[in-house]
Formats: sequence, structure tokens, C-alpha cells
Amino acid sequence: MSDRRGRVRDGLALAHALPDRSLVAMVAAMSLLAALTWAGVFGAQSLSARWAQGAENLITVQVPDPEKPATQAGTTERPPDNRQNQAGSQRPRIDAVMEALQGQPDVSTVHRLNAQELDQLLTPWLGSSGAAALPLPGVIEIHLAPGMNLTKDVSSRIAALAPGTLIERNDDWRRRLQVVARSLVACAALAIILVSGIGAAVIGMATRLGLGARRESIMILHGLGAADGYVASRFGSRVAGLSLMGGVVGTMLGVPPIVIVTQLMAPLSGPQATMEPAQDGEAIISGFFGSLMDSHVPSGLISGLVCVPIAAAVIGWLTAQIIVRVWLRRLP
Amino acid sequence: MIRLHNVTWRHASQIRGRRGETLSALPAISFSVAQGEFRWLLGPSGAGKSSLLRLLHLEALPVSGQLELLGTDITPGTTRSVLARLRQRIGMVHQDFRLMPTLSVADNVALPLRLQRRHEADVVTEVDAILNWVGLTTRKNARPVELSGGEQQRTAIARAVIARPDLVLADEPTNALEESQANRVIGMLRDIAAMGTSVIVATHNDALVRRFPAPALRLNHGRLINDE
Repeated sequence: MSDRRGRVRDGLALAHALPDRSLVAMVAAMSLLAALTWAGVFGAQSLSARWAQGAENLITVQVPDPEKPATQAGTTERPPDNRQNQAGSQRPRIDAVMEALQGQPDVSTVHRLNAQELDQLLTPWLGSSGAAALPLPGVIEIHLAPGMNLTKDVSSRIAALAPGTLIERNDDWRRRLQVVARSLVACAALAIILVSGIGAAVIGMATRLGLGARRESIMILHGLGAADGYVASRFGSRVAGLSLMGGVVGTMLGVPPIVIVTQLMAPLSGPQATMEPAQDGEAIISGFFGSLMDSHVPSGLISGLVCVPIAAAVIGWLTAQIIVRVWLRRLP
Repeated sequence: MIRLHNVTWRHASQIRGRRGETLSALPAISFSVAQGEFRWLLGPSGAGKSSLLRLLHLEALPVSGQLELLGTDITPGTTRSVLARLRQRIGMVHQDFRLMPTLSVADNVALPLRLQRRHEADVVTEVDAILNWVGLTTRKNARPVELSGGEQQRTAIARAVIARPDLVLADEPTNALEESQANRVIGMLRDIAAMGTSVIVATHNDALVRRFPAPALRLNHGRLINDE
């Protein structure tokens, strides 16, 4: 049915029957929204995963007044060695707690944050001189073996050695982050379904316009024995092509903001998440091209973006097929 | 070839309305047409000739009675793909020609073969032959709007017969044609019948029928009043 230039010579002339520009523009807008939504989901998931990974099996112990001597009650739970009891009562609370933790079989590492690390931790909130002005607790980071937790005995012993000690299980935060990430994914899925639905509706209306414009030609082809599948595939192919074009345009429009946001998020989601100062415009632009050149954009995000035009084409093809076949049902 | 026994049908009013079905103008009707037979379908305007041709072209389906067309029993349950394949074996010449305005004469005539996905080289050969037969070789690249009524009619006939159908239906094919043109058109349709294709030609032109005597189905007020 095609001539040398690939045109199908059946009289449908769909290149003139369908509102090409407006269809491409609408699909491009929908694809842009879908691409940004996908990027948002991907970013939220990456951040959540990164933070959750850092928080996994990590326990933070805050010991108030760390240099005060540990209490007797805590030391009396130790083996009945009088000299050790005497020594224990003289030891600072932080050392007593460290010692109590290091003896646990499920504990992988015990690390007390030094003054510099505490300053670094508090500087974003209190400024460079703020930390020194406050009485700070001693902070101990404990990494447990996978799937393990501190026993109640250990917690009681620490409370006895240093009353008022806070034990924060970061796993709780991990669970909250996962819930937040899942909620974001659910919202994004809803948004993508909505965008797809609106896209399908737009494509459906364009197809109906095309059917109206080519009603007589379709009637003639139908009378000559053209099967429903033939007419539907002609419309489907044309609409899929236009949708693919719109999808590519929309996705390409979405790439610059996505890459820039990815660049901005890199310090937060990288292996060493740090609070670096915000970048200026020039840095962002150079980072944009750097991201593209260095494949800084995650491959999963790129794969998702590549899928957007394909999904637009598939939605276009399916919608046109359904609309045309339903329309043809009115003919005998 | 064609056999109707007490057939009544509904004619869907095409795409005009969702529930646009209207009862046929014709009551139950019975007749048969053999292979290679040329039949006139006669009657005044509004007698139901076009309605009967639409039934035979499967633009309407029987709701009662038995319709056997080209060896297939047609029922309301006949699938759309079967109906489409049957339509490919029926050539229809409409009163208003129904040519594709955007296509040339050659492309219009080639449509049935291209819908059957014939090889393009065969299509070109067949089109050249059929255009030569209807005397339109010099007009093969013209658009329908550039053709006279007689040329459009011959184009429609060429399109109807190019795929060598088993049945050709013609609805007032000589309407608005001069006598010489009308004689030429009917002569072509009789030639087609002589080659083994059944042909039914609807007309209200009695003079034409007298010039080309053949068995006739005569309708009046939707009733088949004789099967001569």
C-alpha cells in the first residue's frame, strides 16, 4: 500500500486528518510531567535508600555529663571484685558505658565522637562557635551485627552506670524513611496514572477528530472489504508515531531540570553525604554538563526517562486502536 | 451463489446515531441468483432497490430468514472478519461512485488489490489492464474531480471488478449518463457476467432494460412483485 516515499496510498491521508501539532504538544506536556514525576520518585527513593543504609544497625548513645564518675549501682552489677568496684566508681561515665558496650558480642564497633566530630555535627545548626558554648553529652555510635539489637540487660546496665543516658535506635528512623518513600512512590504512581489517563483522553479526542475528518474514506475502505484491524492499525501507527514524537520532545525538555536537581542532590545522596554550601549558577551549569558527560545521572533514572516516550507511543497506539475499533462497530 | 429465503433485515443508519437502527423498507423476500447470471433489479424510486443492494453488500444483516451469499450463511452472529472477507469478493458500484478524492484514478482502481496485499508489481499490471479495458489509460493520473461523470462511473466499475469478484452490484450505474455512455457501461457489466461473475444492476431506466434484455427482479413498495 506504500509508495516509494513510504506513504500509504489508501486515501486516508492521515497526515492531514489528525491534528499533528496540537497532539504532539499535548503529549509532550504529559511526557514532561511524567518524566519529572519519575525523577522525583527516583530521587526520593535514592535518598531514602541511602539514608536508610546509613542508619541501618546504628545506635546512638548520648551520655549526659560524660566526665562525671559512673554510679556505684552500675558497677555493682559487675563481677564481685572489690578493687575493680573501687576503680569503676572513679571512672568517667562515658568510659564506663563504652566498656559496658564493648563487651557485648552483637556489637561490631563502638566509637565515641570526639570534639571535632561533634562540632562538625552541630555547626549547621549552632554555627562554628555555638557548640563550645553548650554543655554537650558524650555521643557514642554503635554498629551492631546485622539483625541484632541491644539487649534489655545492657540498656539497664547503661542506665545504672549513667542515669539519664539516651539510647536512640536509628532503625526506627529507617522504618519511617521507608514509609515516607513508599508514600511518595504511591503518590507518584497516582500522578503518572493520572497523566497517562489525561494523555489517553487527549489522544482519544484527536483520534475521534481524525475519524470524523476521514469518515467518507473509511466508509469506502470498509465497503471494499478493509478489515477493522486494517483501519485501526493505520490510525494506531500514525497516532503512535505522533505520541512517540511528543514523548521524546517532552522528555528532552525534562532532562535539563532533572540533571540540575540531580547535581544538587548528589552531596545528599552520595556515599559521604555532607552539607556542602549551595552551588552558584555557574557551578550548576558546569555541573549539568559534567553530569551528562560523567554519567552522573543514575542509570535507573535514565532507563525510566527512556521509557517515557515508549510508554507514550504504546498508550497512543492502544488508545487509537480502541477508539477506532469501537467507532467501526457502528458499521455492519 | 445468492439465495434469500424469507429474509428481513435491519439497516444500521451508518454512523449517524448510537442507536440509529431503522427497519428495512422491505418485508420478507425470497429469490436466488446463479453464478455468472446478469440480473436487472427494477422498480421506481423508493421501491427498495438500494436497500436490497445494501443487504447483498453486507451493509445490513438479516434478522430473520436465510441468506446464503457466496457459499456463506449470513446471520447476525457472522463475525466482522468474515463479513470483511466476503466484501472483498463483492464489487459494488455506487450511484455516487464513492471514489477517493485524494487518490488518482489508478490508485482508486488499485485499492481492492492493495487491501488484499497483492504484490505491487502485479497491482500495476492489473491496473493498467483494467484501465485499458474501460478506456481510461490516458486519465490514470487524474483525480476524480477532474473526470467527467462517465469517466468517474468507469473508474468505479474498474475498481469494482479489478479483484475479479464473484458478485458485482451496481446501483443506478447509468444515472445521469448519456445514452451512448450508458450503453457502454452496461455492455461492460454484461461482459463481466459473461466471464462468470454474477451481476445485479439496479435501475429505473426501462429503455435501457429493453435494449439489454435479461432476467429481472422487480420491486414495488418494498415487495418483490416478480422474479422474471
